Amino acid sequence: MGRPYGLLRAGFPFYKTLGMRRLTNFPIDIALGKEGCLYILCRNRDASTIRKYHIDDKDLGTVGRGLTWAVAIIADSEENLYVSDEAKHCILSFDKDGKELGKWGEYGDGDGQLNGPAGIAFDAEENIYVADSLNHRVQKFTKDGEFISKWGRFGDGEGEFNMPWGLTVDELGDVYVADWRNDRVQKFTGDGEFIFAFGKSGSGNGELNRPTGVAVDEHGDVYVSDSGNDRVQLFNSESRYVQKFLGDAALSTVAIEYMMTNAGPNRLRDMADLEPQKYFRRPGGVAVNGDGLMFVADNGSYRVQVYQKQAIPLTEEQFSAPRRSPTLHQE
Amino acid sequence: MSNTDIALMAHLMRRAGFGATRTELEDYAERGYENVVEDLVEPERCDPIDEDILHRYFGSFEAGYVEKWMYRMIRSKRPLEEKMALFWHHVFATGVGKNQHLLASARQIDTFRRVGLSNMREILIELSKDPAMIFWLDNNENRKGEPNENYGRELLELFSMGVGNYTEDDIKNCARAFTGWTFAQPPPLYPQGFYDAKFVFLEEDHDDGEKTFLGHTGNLNGDDIIDIIVEQPACAKFISRHLYNFFVADEPQVPSWHVTPPQDPEAIEILSNAFMESKGDMRHILRTLFNSDFFKEARGKKVKSPTELVTGILKLIGTYERPDPGMGKYSGATTLMGQKLLDPPTVEGWHTGREWIDGGTLTERVNFAVREVSDASRPGIAELINRLKAEGRALAPDEFVEKCLDLAGPMTVSDTTRESLNKFAESGGDLDLSADNGSEESTDRVIQMLQLIVASREYQFA
Repeated sequence: MGRPYGLLRAGFPFYKTLGMRRLTNFPIDIALGKEGCLYILCRNRDASTIRKYHIDDKDLGTVGRGLTWAVAIIADSEENLYVSDEAKHCILSFDKDGKELGKWGEYGDGDGQLNGPAGIAFDAEENIYVADSLNHRVQKFTKDGEFISKWGRFGDGEGEFNMPWGLTVDELGDVYVADWRNDRVQKFTGDGEFIFAFGKSGSGNGELNRPTGVAVDEHGDVYVSDSGNDRVQLFNSESRYVQKFLGDAALSTVAIEYMMTNAGPNRLRDMADLEPQKYFRRPGGVAVNGDGLMFVADNGSYRVQVYQKQAIPLTEEQFSAPRRSPTLHQE
Repeated sequence: MSNTDIALMAHLMRRAGFGATRTELEDYAERGYENVVEDLVEPERCDPIDEDILHRYFGSFEAGYVEKWMYRMIRSKRPLEEKMALFWHHVFATGVGKNQHLLASARQIDTFRRVGLSNMREILIELSKDPAMIFWLDNNENRKGEPNENYGRELLELFSMGVGNYTEDDIKNCARAFTGWTFAQPPPLYPQGFYDAKFVFLEEDHDDGEKTFLGHTGNLNGDDIIDIIVEQPACAKFISRHLYNFFVADEPQVPSWHVTPPQDPEAIEILSNAFMESKGDMRHILRTLFNSDFFKEARGKKVKSPTELVTGILKLIGTYERPDPGMGKYSGATTLMGQKLLDPPTVEGWHTGREWIDGGTLTERVNFAVREVSDASRPGIAELINRLKAEGRALAPDEFVEKCLDLAGPMTVSDTTRESLNKFAESGGDLDLSADNGSEESTDRVIQMLQLIVASREYQFA
């Protein structure tokens, strides 16, 4: 299915919260599995773990260990998991139950070598793109770690990077990179040809402060985890700012179950200003699925916030021609 | 530049910071002592540490705060900011063990970093509004008609003037003035983690009655109390003695100060005058201190705190250019040596000086230092070996000792220690790092020499 001519954006309400402290500590990224499964990558000080979770807010336990400073997680078509570890300078793989399948990558700046790998993403052939953060470049590998290509170098010009973090590939094969220290997102073809960049330093709409995660949905909408501004921003496929999400979390099911047996925290919660609790705190990765759900790793609040996109594709007849100038005339 | 300049600079950086690499010392010496003092006391002249990098690698909020702080200590271009944060942590000792709110404790250190080089009035105001302190000394339970005197008492006794400079009535009225100074209830830790506690003044809990404090009468609030305190010569003397104890030379423990006079009354007088003439401006007082003869002549007169020992070693081995996993072991190390940052044992803080040392902690200190310098691949150790290599000739045993003492400090050691070091050096003959076939063995000898140096009695002193 191709991208729609236009979209009627009906809304994007908060959908649910998943996880809580102790289960999903400092979530930094999320991989979407099958049948409602998701894999929440949790980064604690010097050890990271993968928490297998169900969208019904069921904790399915820890899968995958031996990670130090994990940054990103993705799942392939067989639901095998690939995780980047910026301390070990490698990519580790696990099956969906956490059995380690392999590990590739070594420290260095040569072709195929890594220095602080961060964001990772599959293309349609399940090759892996890696944001090779401290080498300020993107590298492309086979799933088994065989080097294919690379582009980028340190800088702030087109196709240059400064510690890139998140990375994703859309269904057309284009690559989006959260250029962390340049406060922008860059879009490339799968071969590394620069297409466009958007975002600049700041906290206004469309501006970014250390973007960590990036995701693209089937409509071509781009979601950017604007970590330093504690929010997620949505841009359309042409990089125009659409809206921002500041966080709307309610208690997750597991959190409610916990609170029901803990009188002290209930009283403290009753005394406290609850408003700050709904907001994102330093969001990490963002992921979207085919049902229009957006999952945000709410890193500082030990949870995942989920939003539901409500958008209806429009045909050419339902969506008038583009305008260059605004108008006050009501049609 | 002379070795004297380097040695003096090393002394300054051990006290006003957490040590320095040899290259840094040479750069500092090039700038000149007084210029470096200005850079230290006016930290805005230097770039701040990159907070984004700290967040990215060590995580946000309270997680790993102590590791982050130790990273700041060894990497910040504004070392005196960090040293002052540590100084105020010693003086205004607040334990996370009681509040169990890591974020509030972390925020308190952030506050000390932010205002630590301002003036005494601002520092005491911020302290009095700090939620970790308010909870630590129960000011959240200090209300009109049912005062809790804990904070009022310690503000006078341990934080500003010392015993003997106020009456019991002053304490009572001080406490009354701080009624209603509390914090809003933050959400609980579970299920979403720590949230900031924020200071609030509750009008309805505040005692608006007339109070007399140190001879001043009126409807005094906490701000008024602090205004009165910072004008007292007793405050100037008390804080000056704290500064002397922390930056210059070990004094007896604080509770004995009202009966034991300072070891250098003239120095305390100089600092007190600087306090009074500047209305408690820390930059002015510290500028006076670091430029004084009594400071320059105080090498080796302080036992390193565990934090100073560990960070000094980290500077020596030149590691952690970038954040890496593993910093946690260093906060663990200071804990084993008797200093668990964020968690001092009591409101009196840590007992310092020779009380840092007992059989157990000395073993920890020596083992730690010896272990850390044993890796020749560490950048600082590699640089030290390269400097020895750059001599381009074999070094006689006594030269070998002298060069290593110089590069590891520079350090001055007793005859006994030097004799031991010479004995070791002589056992291997000349040190020839230039010889291809002998370099590995020679490198090992340098490592062993460094291990002996950091295990020495003298290395325990700053």
